[in-house]
Amino acid sequence: MVLRRFLPALPPLLAFAGILAIWELLSLYFGLDGLPPPSVALRQVPVILTDPQSLFDIVDSLRRMAIGIVLALVFAIPVGLWMGRSRFAAAFFNPLLSVIYPVPKAALMPIIMLWLGVGDASKILVIFLGVTLPLIYHSYQGSRAVEEKLLWSAAAMGMQPPARLARIVLPAALPEILVGCRTALVLGLITMVTSEMIARQTGIGNLVFQSLEMGIYDTVYAMIVIIGALGFILDVLFERLRGWLVGWAEPAQSIIVGST
Amino acid sequence: MSQAELTSPRIAAEERNALRQSSMISIERVSKYFDTRRDKRHLALSEITLPVTRGEFVSILGPSGCGKSTLLYIVGGFVQPSSGQVLVNDRPVEGPGPDRGPVFQEFALFPWKTVLGNVTYGLDQRGVPKAEAVARARALLAMVSLSGYENFYPKELSGGMKQRVAIARTLAYKPNILLMDEPFGALDAQTRTRLQNDLLKIWDEDRKTVLFVTHSVEEAVFLSDRVVMMSRSPGRIQDIIDIDLPRPRDRASLLLDRRYQDYVVNIERMMDAQTGDHS
Repeated sequence: MVLRRFLPALPPLLAFAGILAIWELLSLYFGLDGLPPPSVALRQVPVILTDPQSLFDIVDSLRRMAIGIVLALVFAIPVGLWMGRSRFAAAFFNPLLSVIYPVPKAALMPIIMLWLGVGDASKILVIFLGVTLPLIYHSYQGSRAVEEKLLWSAAAMGMQPPARLARIVLPAALPEILVGCRTALVLGLITMVTSEMIARQTGIGNLVFQSLEMGIYDTVYAMIVIIGALGFILDVLFERLRGWLVGWAEPAQSIIVGST
Repeated sequence: MSQAELTSPRIAAEERNALRQSSMISIERVSKYFDTRRDKRHLALSEITLPVTRGEFVSILGPSGCGKSTLLYIVGGFVQPSSGQVLVNDRPVEGPGPDRGPVFQEFALFPWKTVLGNVTYGLDQRGVPKAEAVARARALLAMVSLSGYENFYPKELSGGMKQRVAIARTLAYKPNILLMDEPFGALDAQTRTRLQNDLLKIWDEDRKTVLFVTHSVEEAVFLSDRVVMMSRSPGRIQDIIDIDLPRPRDRASLLLDRRYQDYVVNIERMMDAQTGDHS
């Protein structure tokens, strides 16, 4: 009975244990300064997490990421929904998006720093740019796939087109929008770290690269582990939120991805 | 006035006015083209003229692709005709409105709303106070035998239950006209029969005007006062048959009724003759 309850947790635990084992073996084999064994590096994790300055940096990074993602949500969802319901909007935005999509947003960081300086504004703008496109794209897909007869049913009740976008298209497209949000969360984390590599001041990225320059390699690896764990925790929390928001969705509409 | 005259596009003006006055719905020379490829236009409906009187149950029967659903959508105001017009209560249809309640084959329930939320949705939209909306929704759900399912989501219901919710949702905002687009087409035979019986019971209470699209001959004859037969490519009215059977109708006795059998057999023969398809 106990075994059956913990059985689903077994494969992920094996995977993590496997990675640690390989890491340990590799570092023992090569004996490089730049590759400390996990038994040494992971000891730095509690040290970092109890250091007020490091904690402040981590929270500061997450704050910028949250602001960037929220701004992107506010902008991208209405645009995507509108594109899905208006041929004009789709024809207008689609070529723009396909030009902007392949541009690596973090590569724009030096230019943006010329405009906005090295502070919060630049980093938030880069995170915003990094997560906007998948959000628009998924909102657009979701909006385009809304069953016409849902809109007709609402129209017959006397609902006007602008209200239909907010009250029918938005909830109907929500499962697909949340797929975009999940991608945005991961991309947001990546862009956040990258932006702090380029504009050093505070933050997780800054911690990593400062330690790297000073040759404190166990801290570097501990930080990488912490970033990975952050991504994992954010994803688990987001999946909880998603289950709560779109538990009503038909199985065909629900999204089968990754870990859960 | 014979049926042939009613369906003819060339009714004299005064005669048409006389018709309008007695009609709840007046479909007047409605045609609909769809653009397929460049320069190519597909004529889906050709010069349909059909008056429907208040309280009448009219079925539109035809093979798939004859434009019968499109005709219903035009009456609903969801689709614009290419030419001609539809009058409802003497006013031209310019868009959807709560006087015409649709029920679709796909149910089209709002999946993010519970059963109760779906049925009260139109009432909230019409500004009916919450308590009154909930009371009316509960009464309607009892009428469609779904008491106790108020807090279920559509995904938790069977097809037949979903369609009951959809019917309750539409009845909730009290449309004068029901536009039913093959509402039982996606259901199994047993559920379908039950819902047909239930629909007739509900309809008997206040005799709304009903336009009912179907491709089932038995369904059309069982439910209707008149059956409008359509042919395809282009969609035209082929014939209109008055179903002179007593109401309220009981399925078992109808099945034994010689007149019911004759209607079904004759209509099926006419449809076969039209399509030349005996398979």
